Amino acid sequence: MTEQKNTSHIIKVSGITKRYPKAESNSLTEVSFDVFRGEKLGIFGPNGAGKTTLISILSGILPKSSGEVHYYIDNQSANFKKILPKIGFVPQDFALYQELTATQNLRYFGKMHGLKNPELEQKISSLLAILGLDHVGNRKLASFSGGMKRRINLAIGLINDPEILFLDEPTVGVDVQSKVAIMSLLNELNAKGTTMIYTSHHLREAEDFCDRTLLLDNGKIIAEGTLNDLLKQHNAESLEDLLINLTGKALRD
Amino acid sequence: MERFKASLLKEILLLLHDKVGLLLMYLMPLLLVFIITIVQDSAFRLVNENRLDILIVNNDKGHLGDSLVQSMKNAGSFKIDVKKGIDERQLANLTLEGSKLATLFVPSNFTQSLSSNSQRISNAMLSEFGMETEPRSNKGNQNAIEGGVKLIFDPVLQESFQVTLINNLQTMISGIESKEMIRQLYADMGYDEIPAKILKELNRNRTKIEAKPAMSGESAMIPNSTQHNVPAWSIFAMFFMVISLGSNLVKERLSGSFVRLQTIPGSFLHAMFAKITVYSFVALTQLMIMFAIGVYIFPLIGLPKLNLPSHIFPFLLISILSAMAAISYAAMVGTYAKTQEQANGFGAISIIIFAAIGGIWVPSFVMPDYMVMISKLSPLHWCLEGFYSLFLKDGSWDQLTGPVVYLIVFTVLCQFLALWRLRRQHYI
Repeated sequence: MTEQKNTSHIIKVSGITKRYPKAESNSLTEVSFDVFRGEKLGIFGPNGAGKTTLISILSGILPKSSGEVHYYIDNQSANFKKILPKIGFVPQDFALYQELTATQNLRYFGKMHGLKNPELEQKISSLLAILGLDHVGNRKLASFSGGMKRRINLAIGLINDPEILFLDEPTVGVDVQSKVAIMSLLNELNAKGTTMIYTSHHLREAEDFCDRTLLLDNGKIIAEGTLNDLLKQHNAESLEDLLINLTGKALRD
Repeated sequence: MERFKASLLKEILLLLHDKVGLLLMYLMPLLLVFIITIVQDSAFRLVNENRLDILIVNNDKGHLGDSLVQSMKNAGSFKIDVKKGIDERQLANLTLEGSKLATLFVPSNFTQSLSSNSQRISNAMLSEFGMETEPRSNKGNQNAIEGGVKLIFDPVLQESFQVTLINNLQTMISGIESKEMIRQLYADMGYDEIPAKILKELNRNRTKIEAKPAMSGESAMIPNSTQHNVPAWSIFAMFFMVISLGSNLVKERLSGSFVRLQTIPGSFLHAMFAKITVYSFVALTQLMIMFAIGVYIFPLIGLPKLNLPSHIFPFLLISILSAMAAISYAAMVGTYAKTQEQANGFGAISIIIFAAIGGIWVPSFVMPDYMVMISKLSPLHWCLEGFYSLFLKDGSWDQLTGPVVYLIVFTVLCQFLALWRLRRQHYI
């Protein structure tokens, strides 16, 4: 675990609330926090805590019911349209075309990002090689294992060299080899300056990965800070202990 | 442009991968158009080429039974087989067991009965003119029914054919009766037969009926099973793309691909536009293939050739509007369906219902009035109306106003509802 690397904001969240149509309660209530340039922010909490909703709002997929989200480029406030091309999004679902090959998927999303050849082809080759998929680039994704699909899912999110990367459970359902490949690539990118906002239920993985932690429960922030500080504050030995201490053992829907 | 080209390529690859969708969009309508046209062509031939098989049991002892048989042969409306000496009681079994659709029984006293009637009328007429004659037969007062013909139908024969046959028969018997009555008049006035000059005039002065289909132009298109079925099943084929396009949209929504596109500026509309472009191409190739088969393949297997409309621009307009209506409907189903199964099930059933009420299977003009009203709700009905105007009536712009307006309104409405839904789901 590393300390906070930079104090310049890249995202500032002020009191955002989200209530889905016909829902009986808020999914997020008055959530405020900052994201600093170059950090790896982990958002954790039990099922239904609001993690995916929060990431979806920050990446522009969902509108918020109220509150403000400010984005910054070079310490200057920027509107969302300007920041959008600098965003990478790795959803929890396999958001890809299983009928197409790995290369065709990457090429399609790369072109949608406005990338052109030969840079795009170089980028595709490089990502496939880094993620150990260069030998299956021309195979259809339908024939891929879960771990291979998860790696392609990540590669698509990285195709535009994002400055801010949203990762919604990027390693769910993968074997240890794929997990190691994914996490090592993410660390490498972060070392080059990519800001990462990450959710996961793999708490051991998260302990090693995140610079800072945001704990959510019932749509509210219940703790925020570096993991070391939070463990000390709440007298916990691990992130799992911390979550159990703060959210209880009762099963969630 | 690069984004559009990439989306176009992606859509083409997805479409080529969708083998079931391609079969449903291209092969199924081809099979349907072949099967239905062959079946309907037989019915068209039965009506239009008058090949109703009839058995005539002519037991008449006089000459008028033969005259009736000859009249029916001369009419060219029937395929006639004549037998003699069969008992009236055997007729039903003979019809049911045989291959004939109807049996006409001419009784032994047919001539005698007709002659008696004619003599009775002749006597009455001459009496009116003060020219009393000695009755030449004492059977003139007998009931005409006694010498009437009997027609036994196979139960499978449609009522319309029965009515056609009865009307034909009635006309021929009336002709024989008239001629017999005039012959009787001349006989009562002392002539051996009707003078040749009078006979010639009687035949010459028959009122002619000229029948032809209503057309706005001078085209010589003849309505037949091909002219109905090729456009009808082409429309059905286009609308059946709801299976492919509808489930394609649901799949992209559920897989999260649309969500990913949301995070790429401007990409979603490019993707949608590419989808519409590819499926427009599909719809127009469906039309081209079906029409080409109607023009080039049908004549090779003995089916009537498809005559293409002479008005090219209205033809293109109706084709494009039909394609857009089909794509828009499929897009609407794809954006509202929650699962692929829902899109496929609802999409297919709705198109079958639209086809049934829209006159694809059975032309709407044979439907009851309330069904004709309901048929106007079907987009397939308006596509078909447009093509009917072009293919069967060689229609011009005036005749196409209704279909054009409806199809534009339908397309705009479906697209609006689809976009509204996508907006509600924050994709656009």
